[in-house]
Amino acid sequence: MVKSAPVVKSILRKIASILLLLLAVLVLNFVLIYAAPGDPVEALVGEMGGATPELIAELRATYGLDRPLWQQIGVYLGNVVQGDLGHSLYYDQPVTTLIASRIGPTLLLITTALFSAIIVGTILGVFSAQRRNSTLSHFVTVLSLAGFSAPVFWIGIMLILLLSVSFPIFPISGMTSSDGTTSTLGYAMDVAHHLVLPALTLGLIYLAFYSRLARTSMIEVLEADYIRTARAKGLSRRSVVYKHALRNAILPIVTFAGLQFGQVISGAVLVETVFAWPGLGTLAFDSILRRDTPTLLGILFFSSLMVVVMNLLTDLLYRRIDPRIKTS
Amino acid sequence: MFTIFSANQRRLLPLIVAAFAASATLPAGTAFAEPKQGGSLTSFSTGYRTLNPGVQSGAATGAPGSQIFAGLVTVEKGYEIAPYLAKSWSVSDDQLTVTFDLVEDARFHDGVAITGEDVKFSLETVKANHPFGRSMFGSVESIDVPEPHKVVLNLSQPVPGLMLSLQPLLMPIMPKHIYDDGQDMKKHPRNMEDVVGSGPFKVEENIPAERLTLVRNEDFFIADRPYLDRIAYPIVKDPLTRVLMLEKGEIAYAPFSGIRPNDAKRLENVDGVNMTTDGYDAIGYIHYLELNLRDKPFSDRNVREALAHAIDTDFLSKVIFGGRTVPGTGPLHTGNLFYSADTPHYDADLDKAASMLDEAGYPKGENGERFSFTLDIPSWAPQAHVPMAEYIQAQMAKLDIKVELRRAPDFGTWVKRISSWDYEATMNGSFNYPDPVIGMHRHFDCDNIKNVIWSNTQGYCDPEMDKMLDAAAIETDFEARKKIYADIQAKAQQDLAMIYMPQDFSATVYQDGIGNLPDSPFGGLAPLTNVYLED
Repeated sequence: MVKSAPVVKSILRKIASILLLLLAVLVLNFVLIYAAPGDPVEALVGEMGGATPELIAELRATYGLDRPLWQQIGVYLGNVVQGDLGHSLYYDQPVTTLIASRIGPTLLLITTALFSAIIVGTILGVFSAQRRNSTLSHFVTVLSLAGFSAPVFWIGIMLILLLSVSFPIFPISGMTSSDGTTSTLGYAMDVAHHLVLPALTLGLIYLAFYSRLARTSMIEVLEADYIRTARAKGLSRRSVVYKHALRNAILPIVTFAGLQFGQVISGAVLVETVFAWPGLGTLAFDSILRRDTPTLLGILFFSSLMVVVMNLLTDLLYRRIDPRIKTS
Repeated sequence: MFTIFSANQRRLLPLIVAAFAASATLPAGTAFAEPKQGGSLTSFSTGYRTLNPGVQSGAATGAPGSQIFAGLVTVEKGYEIAPYLAKSWSVSDDQLTVTFDLVEDARFHDGVAITGEDVKFSLETVKANHPFGRSMFGSVESIDVPEPHKVVLNLSQPVPGLMLSLQPLLMPIMPKHIYDDGQDMKKHPRNMEDVVGSGPFKVEENIPAERLTLVRNEDFFIADRPYLDRIAYPIVKDPLTRVLMLEKGEIAYAPFSGIRPNDAKRLENVDGVNMTTDGYDAIGYIHYLELNLRDKPFSDRNVREALAHAIDTDFLSKVIFGGRTVPGTGPLHTGNLFYSADTPHYDADLDKAASMLDEAGYPKGENGERFSFTLDIPSWAPQAHVPMAEYIQAQMAKLDIKVELRRAPDFGTWVKRISSWDYEATMNGSFNYPDPVIGMHRHFDCDNIKNVIWSNTQGYCDPEMDKMLDAAAIETDFEARKKIYADIQAKAQQDLAMIYMPQDFSATVYQDGIGNLPDSPFGGLAPLTNVYLED
């Protein structure tokens, strides 16, 4: 009990700073969107094919857009505190409902891509770190260079051309087929079939990153004194690499995984658009084009929330993996 | 086609603007195949905010909307009006009373009978809520329902294009018992959830992020129709992805496919994939360079003529759009019933353009420029507007006019600029819709200079033009009306209210094996009641 008190205190302090940060994010987003040219009602009316000036005025009043900025922010913040992210202008639905309906597909896509990339990337990195001039090592270097430089939508289109058009193995887009499979297993298989290409596209980008990170981190650790000591003790190579080196080399990977997982939406926007994946990324993209301010604000808020929560979790996980942090 | 109806009571000649007899209703090549029931057709959607075409214009809502809802009539090949929910109709001699007799055993998707009250409710709803409601039905003064299956429209003045507006795309028959609950129709939840329609297909699944699935309405009022069991509309927004899906056959039928002329070439080479530009006459998608006529230099007609001489729309359509579209010659699409090619034409002539600018008081200045302007490019049709704008920029440079291109990052930004008249020039485009009163008058009428997008935003006003527009709006004699519209088109082109670009390259891509694709001038926005899949 006594021992855990400082930990609790530091966590509480973190939560307080998180709340302040979120408030700042909310206000900043609101002001930024407000300052941008164009207005949601104009976009809505354009999409309807035109309208009378009376209708435009009526819509402005309905959505509270005729009120001064400070009032609009005040009302919005008040609602957010009560868990109400507002009402989508385009879909005419509560933003929370909208986000909830889209978060599943995005989480599925991101977790599949990220975890596969972390596992494969770490393995590749570890192997190539041990033989720095081997073919595998060069392959990892080239892969990460390509993965970093190639635009994600380009990779997506290339994979579609290869694995959907030339060799029609996977469907081009969407999350399910339209033939209405009813069984749960059939549905899961259908989703998995559709998931392969978008997850592979996103995963390749992450893989480039993690293989490089694991390689660098491993090289650094393998040169450390305690590894030499471990070797000198006569431990097996396997034990040196996996027990002593990897445990330390994995710290930066955990950090980045946490950070990246927080950025679920920004990472997925392009991939979701190319593959028509019905997630938060497409919703964010569409909301920008449609000037659906409440939805956009909701997604930005949700996204920042994810970032801070994941940072907090990473921090906690860190404490478990690296005992030094607990004491410091 | 609709053989179960007796059409002998039709006394509609003054109202049917097109009296072309459509002898064959089946497209060539499929005439001998025996239609059969069954099968699933995959189309696509770019996304929609409502499924009710009564409160929203455009193809995204219209394509599925015309399947979910029935109308009083359909518009067939050659603009022939055919019975649909109205089995017959008659027009009074003064053209001010139109009486419809409805099919008696028609039911909504929830089983409730469709009556004249629903027709009355639908027309009033469209009039009050649809963006074109007033231009289509502004002259409908009152609606009587003397018997459950009889509807009488009382008009304050003749409406020559009335029948064209009574098909499902523009006047869907909506269930009064569902919608008449005092809620705002534009935002009514039943436009998206649990939609109850009157048409050949019912909504089975509506997941706005993923897909819309329609299934056959087993109780449709036309026996043995529709042929298809289901139509799926997966949401595909990315144009490149869409082309690949078309190529691979994952989309079998794509009206308003949004492909570029280059994609067309690629798709035509794929076995089993076909492309047609038929089916867009009634929508009449045209593009133009809109100049803000309020300020110099574009307030000067001679400057506009100089621009017209510098912009070779023939070159644009032949070279830049690969010969797949034709130059615009005025405010009407070549497929419109009232189209006239007899309008002033401005030959491509840069020397003439230069000397006209000199005379207009815009000689080359010390900085080497005559003047400069910003040309806005909207976000919604980049495949058409970007090449046009870049071509205009290059041509203007030859005249020593500096053009700065400004691409709108999103729809709202562009709409705001144009509708508040805060622009110098913009690429633009709009739909004619079948009757010019709906889609064309709005750009020229002095009363329609409004802070509303696709109104008379450029600020054109001419009393003579106004007079002609008013006359054309109520002229019931087809030939006389056609003559007035020919004059209107000539005048628009004479005044250069806008500089017309090549018409839109609108194309439908479809797989082999689909029979009876609609040959209506509304194309994919017409009901797919007779479409079937071959073996």
